[in-house]
Amino acid sequence: MRILLVEDEPTLRAALRRSLEDAGYVVDEADNGRDAWHLGETEPFDAVVLDLGLPQLDGLTVLQRWREAGQAMPVLILTARDGWHEKVAGIDAGADDYLTKPFHTEELLARLRALIRRAQGLGSPLLRCGPITLDTRSGRVTLGGEPITLTSHEYRLLAYLMHRPGQVVSRSELTEHLYAQDHDRDSNTIEVFVGRLRRKLPAEAIETVRGLGYRLQGGA
Amino acid sequence: MKPPGLRGALRHSLRWRLLAATLVALLIALLLAGGLLAGLFRDHVLRQFGTALTAQLDQVTARLDVDAAGQPRLDPAGLSDPRWSRPYGGLYWQVDRVSTQGAPGSQHGLRGQRGVLRSRSLWDSELQAPADAIADGTVHLHEVAGPGGARLLLAERSVRDGSAEPSAPTPADAAPAHGRPVWRLMVAADLAETEQAITRFNGTLAGSLAVLLGLLCAAAVAQVAVGLAPLRSLQRALAAVHAGQSPRLVGRFPSEVQPLIDDFNAVLDHRAQGVARARSQAGDLAHAVKTPLAVLAQAATAARTDPAAAAELPALVTQQVDLARRQVDRHLARARAAAAPGLPGSHCAIAPLLQGLLRVMERVHAERHLDLDGGDIDPAIAFAGDAQDLQEMLGNLLDNACKWARTGVAVHATTQSAADSPRLLLQVDDDGPGIAPERRAQVMARGARLDESVPGSGLGLAIVQDLAELYGGQLTLGESPLGGLRATLLLPGVRA
Repeated sequence: MRILLVEDEPTLRAALRRSLEDAGYVVDEADNGRDAWHLGETEPFDAVVLDLGLPQLDGLTVLQRWREAGQAMPVLILTARDGWHEKVAGIDAGADDYLTKPFHTEELLARLRALIRRAQGLGSPLLRCGPITLDTRSGRVTLGGEPITLTSHEYRLLAYLMHRPGQVVSRSELTEHLYAQDHDRDSNTIEVFVGRLRRKLPAEAIETVRGLGYRLQGGA
Repeated sequence: MKPPGLRGALRHSLRWRLLAATLVALLIALLLAGGLLAGLFRDHVLRQFGTALTAQLDQVTARLDVDAAGQPRLDPAGLSDPRWSRPYGGLYWQVDRVSTQGAPGSQHGLRGQRGVLRSRSLWDSELQAPADAIADGTVHLHEVAGPGGARLLLAERSVRDGSAEPSAPTPADAAPAHGRPVWRLMVAADLAETEQAITRFNGTLAGSLAVLLGLLCAAAVAQVAVGLAPLRSLQRALAAVHAGQSPRLVGRFPSEVQPLIDDFNAVLDHRAQGVARARSQAGDLAHAVKTPLAVLAQAATAARTDPAAAAELPALVTQQVDLARRQVDRHLARARAAAAPGLPGSHCAIAPLLQGLLRVMERVHAERHLDLDGGDIDPAIAFAGDAQDLQEMLGNLLDNACKWARTGVAVHATTQSAADSPRLLLQVDDDGPGIAPERRAQVMARGARLDESVPGSGLGLAIVQDLAELYGGQLTLGESPLGGLRATLLLPGVRA
């Protein structure tokens, strides 16, 4: 899952980045409104954490421009502006959630997980696919009730697929969502991780659709 | 400062506007009256003159006689007015002969001899009457030029020598003996004296009207000065406020401006209260935040040397930051409320504001899948105060209800018509666990949180209560028919 983190305060940005990466997300950063706007228009993100008081371009304006351009990714506003009229303005500009500073990191992560899940139309935080269960709250994966251990890359790959059960996901889509923009992307590594994941899951769980990509099988 | 021009004076000064308008109106009225009076006088005098002239014509007619030869005769001895005999005396008569051999109505027949008989006063000149067909018995009046270029009023009539009808048409220039002669009698009098009288009258009239205009202008100046005197005292009162001698406008003012004074004083009072409150709030806030800061500074110092203190530091920081945040929240909410209470004329409709807040609740509490019922709120229902303050109160109540509700939250708004001012009643219901009656007062106490398991500052209800009290309203907690808590907010409303 790839997150755009827009925050102009460097200390808070660094801390947030660490927390998000620890939670298994791939993070791109922007420290001003103009960069944020550009990144949001050109890169596919699974969610955005957006500050409002930004240099160059105000966060609300950035959000409005994204929405006008048809960018539908979930956006969580994270700001010190805590008046109710400001919350109404934020939601009406197209935000999906609103969290005021200071905040607890756990609450931010919980809200972000819920946003990503709801964006795929999934109601429960517990994702199931055949015998595989993924608890988005704890990051635990079980197979037939037995916990299995995954590396962070494997977890990200499985989580992305489990948010889209039964859908064909292309390699390039996986690359875009599992690596940050500045990362050295190589679609072969995706194949390596799929291979490793297949060894830990039932062999038929991840199906290769020739020429198109991968599909997680055994959906409900 | 540049002295204001005429346009500037008219635009900026009520006094000049009133005076200019009065002056223009007076000028128009007096000019019309003067014109009308002069016209009436002239008309009347000329009519009198004409009547007198007609009487003279009658006298002359009565003395006209025709001798055996058919020649007219007029005995001047019978005319008493000396002006008849004095050359160019101003009163003249003349008899012309009009030949009527032509068929009746034929213009060619109207030829005769001018000045058959004349008054002595005409001396060597003649009266030049315009060509005219006169029916029997009528008198015509004309203005004509007379001897020496004088302007004359001329009265004329035709007199027929009443014997036989003409037997046959004859040439136009035939002798009068061949037909029946028609005599044209005319009397004329000099208009000079009458014109002089009219001119004298007009002069007197203009003088009188000018004096009247002067008096009326003086009255207008006095009226404006008396009428606008209260504005001068208002100016003085305002200057006293500016100079800091008085906190509000003091004095007795007419009922037309009193509402303005009252509103202005309300704004001044509100500003003074706002400044006072802002000062005390800044002090309170500084004090409230300094305490956690002092605790943190001390803990940091201790942590440098004491490993046990260092281990406790993260927990301490979290706790103190939380404390400071609550204080900031509360003081911020109070500071924001500085906007509206007591400010005249502020009001906001409930329905659109509630819709905006419900949109926020739907997103922020999306995970709870709540049924949010905004009810059918009458769009006419409005709050007599600032929109942001109402948003703050209603937002906190809704947020609180959404945090605790199991399945749904409902909002109702109604107005109560009290005798003096309408009241607005807002109810926010949830189907959560509710609050036991004995703990309700505790919830609204400063910064209390009954349950740490639900995120929030724990200040929501206290902030709502603070704000409601600023508006002279109140917040009460009770039991909801839905099973949970009912928060009832009573606020000043606006009469629809």
